[in-house]
Amino acid sequence: MNRHPLVEARALTVRFGGLTAVDAVSAAFAPGELVGIIGPNGAGKTTFFNALSGVVAPTSGELFALGEPLAGAAPHRFAEHGIARTFQTPRVFASLSVAANVGFGLRFAGRRRPVPALLRDEASILALLGLEAQAALPAAAITPSQQRLLEIGMALATRPRVLLLDEVAAGLVEREIEAIARLAHRLRDELDLTVIWIEHAVTTLLRQVERVIVLHEGRKIADGTPAEVVRNPEVVEAYLGDEMAEPA
Amino acid sequence: MMRRDLVILAVLAAAALALPYVASEFVVSLALSCLMYAALASSWASFCGSTRYLSLATAAFFGIGAYTSALTLGTLPWLAAIGLGAAIAAAVAVVMGAAVLHLRGTYFAVLTFGMTELIRHSIAYFEKQVTGTVGRVLTVVPERDTIYLTVLGLAVAAVLAAIFIRPSRFGLAMAGIGADEQRAETLGVDTRVVKIAGFAFTAAFAGAVGAAMSVRWTYIDPATVFNPFIGFQTVLIALIGGAATLWGPLLAAVVFSLLAETLRLQMPQVYMMSLGLLLILSVLYLPGGLASIRWRRA
Amino acid sequence: MTLGAWAELVASGVITGGVYALVALGLNLQYGLMRILNIAHGEFLMLGAFLTWAAQTGFGISPLVMLPVAFLLLMALGLAIHRLTFRRLARTSADLDVFEARGLMVSFGLMFLVQNFAQWLWGGELRGYDYLADPVAIGDARFAANKLVLLALALAISGALIVVLRTTLLGKGVRALMQSPTGAQLVGIDTERLHPLMFGVGLGLSGVAGCLLSMTYTISPAMGEPYTVTALIVITLGGFGSMAGALVGGLALGVIEAVGMHFTNPSLKTLLSYGIFIAVLLWRPNGLFARR
Repeated sequence: MNRHPLVEARALTVRFGGLTAVDAVSAAFAPGELVGIIGPNGAGKTTFFNALSGVVAPTSGELFALGEPLAGAAPHRFAEHGIARTFQTPRVFASLSVAANVGFGLRFAGRRRPVPALLRDEASILALLGLEAQAALPAAAITPSQQRLLEIGMALATRPRVLLLDEVAAGLVEREIEAIARLAHRLRDELDLTVIWIEHAVTTLLRQVERVIVLHEGRKIADGTPAEVVRNPEVVEAYLGDEMAEPA
Repeated sequence: MMRRDLVILAVLAAAALALPYVASEFVVSLALSCLMYAALASSWASFCGSTRYLSLATAAFFGIGAYTSALTLGTLPWLAAIGLGAAIAAAVAVVMGAAVLHLRGTYFAVLTFGMTELIRHSIAYFEKQVTGTVGRVLTVVPERDTIYLTVLGLAVAAVLAAIFIRPSRFGLAMAGIGADEQRAETLGVDTRVVKIAGFAFTAAFAGAVGAAMSVRWTYIDPATVFNPFIGFQTVLIALIGGAATLWGPLLAAVVFSLLAETLRLQMPQVYMMSLGLLLILSVLYLPGGLASIRWRRA
Repeated sequence: MTLGAWAELVASGVITGGVYALVALGLNLQYGLMRILNIAHGEFLMLGAFLTWAAQTGFGISPLVMLPVAFLLLMALGLAIHRLTFRRLARTSADLDVFEARGLMVSFGLMFLVQNFAQWLWGGELRGYDYLADPVAIGDARFAANKLVLLALALAISGALIVVLRTTLLGKGVRALMQSPTGAQLVGIDTERLHPLMFGVGLGLSGVAGCLLSMTYTISPAMGEPYTVTALIVITLGGFGSMAGALVGGLALGVIEAVGMHFTNPSLKTLLSYGIFIAVLLWRPNGLFARR
């Protein structure tokens, strides 16, 4: 049994020219965790995800997947190690069918990874998402909230151990957000998947996750249960200046 | 679907095979030029059409193949010379690709053009200063029928490859790169390797075609075999025909060969002008190319 | 080498560099503002050269008079081309990358169209005319008068363009658009009018460069392409979007070429140019096509 955490970031720093987007963030994630990442605008949440998925190379610091150093590797290697992600605006392959979009990940990163029954093929993934009826439609023809689900399906097709959800709730109604939360729980319960979830709508997230990491101006300022984090004075302070987040 | 395509290819190949026995010298010559561009445009489209990395380096690989066969035909058998031309061109593509394929599409296009010109001027300079020649005369020249059969074989191979690549993992990877490269990467595609492989693929065909066609001219020099127009015409044909489609490049190659023969001798500039105009019109009004109006399913 | 000989060498480099700068400024305007990589840019330079030659040899009109005429004619052509092609492209492209790629293909087609049109109309031979060809002595060095005029005018026009961009409201609008397209639009800067106008200005500058060149060199329908490539190299050297950089880069490239050619081999000139181009693009990619 590998004693390394599933994914670990150590003093991860991402700098763009003069701007430090992620500032020495350290965090470790174990299998089956349901973690939320929150923070005011410009906190560096998406950049952190970009670093965790290989889309951006960290300026300094280290990144490990089950002890294997991955900092600076190409994104496909992250996918091969079981780290999958969604993007804020769904990036589906518009000209392919919904089923083909899901099938894409299955034929690449998902090919060499262990196959759980829930993620066996296009049909089972589509069933998981409730998109079976749309299977043959071109991805451009489905509704935006369906595209959100497809985006998750594409990530799941790589048969990951860690799923990074980037603001999947934005623009969705309560019912749809609940559905995604139920999906996240199910993935965690049945597949031991670690779900790391960035959300801008704080109250929504705090209800669903067991652990919260708070980023502010690139630094990690809190890491604990929702109850602890909400009482953290530094967190309250950070949010007082940001009109977009709802008060805790 | 694939079976249908293979049948069509077989029929076309048979027709092309029978041509030298029934048609005049002129028609065969026309067909040869058509087959050459069919091979070039189809193989170009297989990579550049789906990944949307527009390579303007076709002339570089064509010329490399031409020089390879010119230099080795005395010592190597015909097919070996062709193969060597393809191999060297592919090797150059791997080096070139490794250096420039990490760059964005437009950037890549301009760089491949620059490298083609660099190779052309380098070889011209080398020939002049070091070997003291301007061009080379080919003394060992195979029969006309051999050349025709070889180029026909290359054209068939190019379309055949396109038929098999499209549904394969490699083809899907390239399509993913063309649709959203970063997304494809996060889904597990090693884009660097796929791009270099695709680029080398187009180079191998261009090199083989160049090696075969060099003997048509019996005298080659850098200006002829590295003529950027070869690359431009390949790109134009593929784009106007429909770079992302299977039959588009072939269709356009036929149309343009006919157009070229009817116009080129009397009014070569009019031919080129119409190429330019057609390209502009097709980019503006028919982005999928000619093939997209015929095959709605493609 | 004597000081006079050095001066002549560097000066001749600066003279060619002046033209390079002018052409590069036009290309920079189009790419920096609109992400239109006009590969046909040099063809419009050639048109300017031929128009001037035709006016001079056919009607005896002085090239200096043709300068503003060439500018206006080519600017009008640019406005027409933009309206017929790039405007539609902008409206029908899903994103900037697609627009850029399609724009490249359209300008590809334009290159074919314009170059062969010229060849069809005027034939492929070299042509030229004499204008102010007598040598002028400056210190130890001797220069043809027309080359000095060329340099002076190229620098003057380049300088004027940069000044206009820095000081006038129009110029500031253009620079704002180059830095932040959305921001500029939010502030009320009218892209619908500015884009075709600046595309036209870019083409006009190209035509002016051609007009100047026709005074001192022979012209042919194929003369445009090398200048397009050179303009691309200059923009890369000078830094994308930077007008002053294009000016300095152009002059620098002219000098590098002149010195390089002198000490190595004139036939290495194109080799040198392309070599520099590729080297710079590979090692300083942010110079030309960086994502902003």
